[in-house]
Amino acid sequence: MSIHFEKVNYIYQADTPFRHQALKNLTVSIPTGSYTAIIGHTGSGKSTLLQHLNGLLKPSSGSVTVADKTITAVTKNKELGELRKHVGIVFQFPEAQLFEETVLKDIAFAPKNFGKTPAEAEQIAREMALLVGLPEEVLQNSPFELSGGQMRRVAIAGILAMKPDVLVLDEPTAGLDPKGRHEIMQMFAQLHSQKQLTIVLVTHQMDDVANYADHAIVLEKGEVIASTSPQEVFKDPQWLLKHHLALPKATRFAYELQQTGKVVFEKMPLTEKELAASLVDLLGKGGN
Amino acid sequence: MQEPIIEISDLSFAYPQQQKKALSHINLKVAAGEWLAVIGHNGSGKSTLAKLIDGLLTPQSGTIRVAGTELTPTTLWDIRKNIGMVFQNPDNQFVGANVEEDVAFGLENQGVPRNEMLKRVKKALVSVGMLNFAQHEPARLSGGQKQRVALAGVIALQPRIIIMDEATSMLDPEGRRDIIQLLKSLNKEKGFTVISITHDIEEASLAQRVVVIDDGTLVQNDKPAKVFQRGTALIESGLDIPFSEKLKNELKSYRIAVPQEYLTEKGMVDWLCQFISKK
Ligand SMILES: Nc1ncnc2c1ncn2[C@@H]1O[C@H](COP(=O)(O)OP(=O)(O)OP(=O)(O)O)[C@@H](O)[C@H]1O
Ligand SMILES: Nc1ncnc2c1ncn2[C@@H]1O[C@H](COP(=O)(O)OP(=O)(O)OP(=O)(O)O)[C@@H](O)[C@H]1O
Ligand SMILES: [Mg+2]
Ligand SMILES: [Mg+2]
Repeated sequence: MSIHFEKVNYIYQADTPFRHQALKNLTVSIPTGSYTAIIGHTGSGKSTLLQHLNGLLKPSSGSVTVADKTITAVTKNKELGELRKHVGIVFQFPEAQLFEETVLKDIAFAPKNFGKTPAEAEQIAREMALLVGLPEEVLQNSPFELSGGQMRRVAIAGILAMKPDVLVLDEPTAGLDPKGRHEIMQMFAQLHSQKQLTIVLVTHQMDDVANYADHAIVLEKGEVIASTSPQEVFKDPQWLLKHHLALPKATRFAYELQQTGKVVFEKMPLTEKELAASLVDLLGKGGN
Repeated sequence: MQEPIIEISDLSFAYPQQQKKALSHINLKVAAGEWLAVIGHNGSGKSTLAKLIDGLLTPQSGTIRVAGTELTPTTLWDIRKNIGMVFQNPDNQFVGANVEEDVAFGLENQGVPRNEMLKRVKKALVSVGMLNFAQHEPARLSGGQKQRVALAGVIALQPRIIIMDEATSMLDPEGRRDIIQLLKSLNKEKGFTVISITHDIEEASLAQRVVVIDDGTLVQNDKPAKVFQRGTALIESGLDIPFSEKLKNELKSYRIAVPQEYLTEKGMVDWLCQFISKK
């Protein structure tokens, strides 16, 4: 599904003293079938942008087009039903999207709503619970009586159960333990490559950008300051510093090593695998 | 160990109507001025432990002593004055109508004089970069801004014990670095005790001691270097391996002989330099 923002402005609390413009004349495209990462400082407008993808927020002016649907300030909610079946958003705080009596019912909500029988919906819910690593013993509990990481998993499972074409993830691994983080990021990557899902990921983890994304959008104070490949974004440490961003761990380590004067990297590695490969190359040649 | 500021003995807890205990037979001492990291997989019982220490939950058995006093319904309010807690979801702790009031709340409760209070609130908001938002409603902030405000609350309060339950999970890299720096200085210079519940291996490595909780039991209690040496076994308990260990593993797959012992990133740089020089 193609996604395009055209001259989008978004203003919170427009007619009050707290008026805040969170998106400023923002024009950007999210390539169809891409795995796009959105990064930027706290308050730069990432979550605001995401909520435009299924019309939860509508542009104050300008337009957002997702596939064949164009959303503007005057678009009515009832026109958005179809779009919302295709775009699934996992919110920054999972509590915001949990509401059912039990974990299982919560995950089964979308499939039931989209016409599955209760038995089929429960079947899907069980599959999704397994996929996100929820223990069997919590499935009948209230989704609010869970640990933070368990709630996160329920929220993710609930969105996966929708079988969306566009999967929108707002810091989906915050609160997950490292094993869960790895497994769930791998699962998203698999959905992306096998089912051609478009993925839009907001994250502060530069390693996730390096490992998974093929496109990166950098926001600063509501404006797009870059929309390019992760390689390009991480090319220039000075630029990153200036915009309060960070390097992936492997890249940071490579710079540290380079500073000793013992090695020179021809191409800066973004991941541990790339780092090890270039080190082996260098060591093999007997150093610099 | 010097006089412990927190002493937990044989603590067990189960949530109402739950068969399984969330914590069983926990024994733990925390020294005054110590930085302790608590790690463990999702649902292992970390937040439950924090809530028990803060008296938000009541143990079924066992005792908790804070600053020499046993935690009971009568001592609860006095004990809580020693503890500043930052919850896993900041929305669960906001009480003020605006950011400034929210950060001031704890101070007001302790009867800090108004002038002093305003000064401390302002300083705390500056330290987390949120002074411009003093008049904003906490619910209408971005995720990272909420976490900054929640942290400002404890920074202003300056309690003897700071418990952070994944309090930096949504901060941008720069914000995270700044706040950790700030907490480190509070810990080093002013002797605050810090208990940091975290999934972040770098944050855990700042601690003097790391406690690992697995399915409600305390399974390890040791220096970070000792805990991290467990290598891939760490992943099995739901934990990460440090970057330097990951790199070692990658290098091993190319049949490069790497040192056995745990290396910090700095240690890894030194080792690689030596390795190259010897070639
Ligand atoms: N409901 C709201 N009402 C008023 N202002 C808001 C609201 N939600 C967000 N804002 C403001 O809009 C700006 C952008 O917020 P947004 O949540 O999009 O940031 P973000 O990039 O997702 O940040 P973070 O990384 O901290 O989650 C922030 O300055 C924030 O204070
Ligand atoms: N209010 C509650 N009622 C019933 N059970 C609960 C409640 N809160 C948590 N639990 C259960 O208790 C166990 C421990 O939860 P706790 O929140 O302490 O985990 P945690 O280690 O903090 O996990 P996380 O890393 O996901 O935050 C989990 O199995 C969880 O499902
Ligand atoms: Mg956000
Ligand atoms: Mg927790």
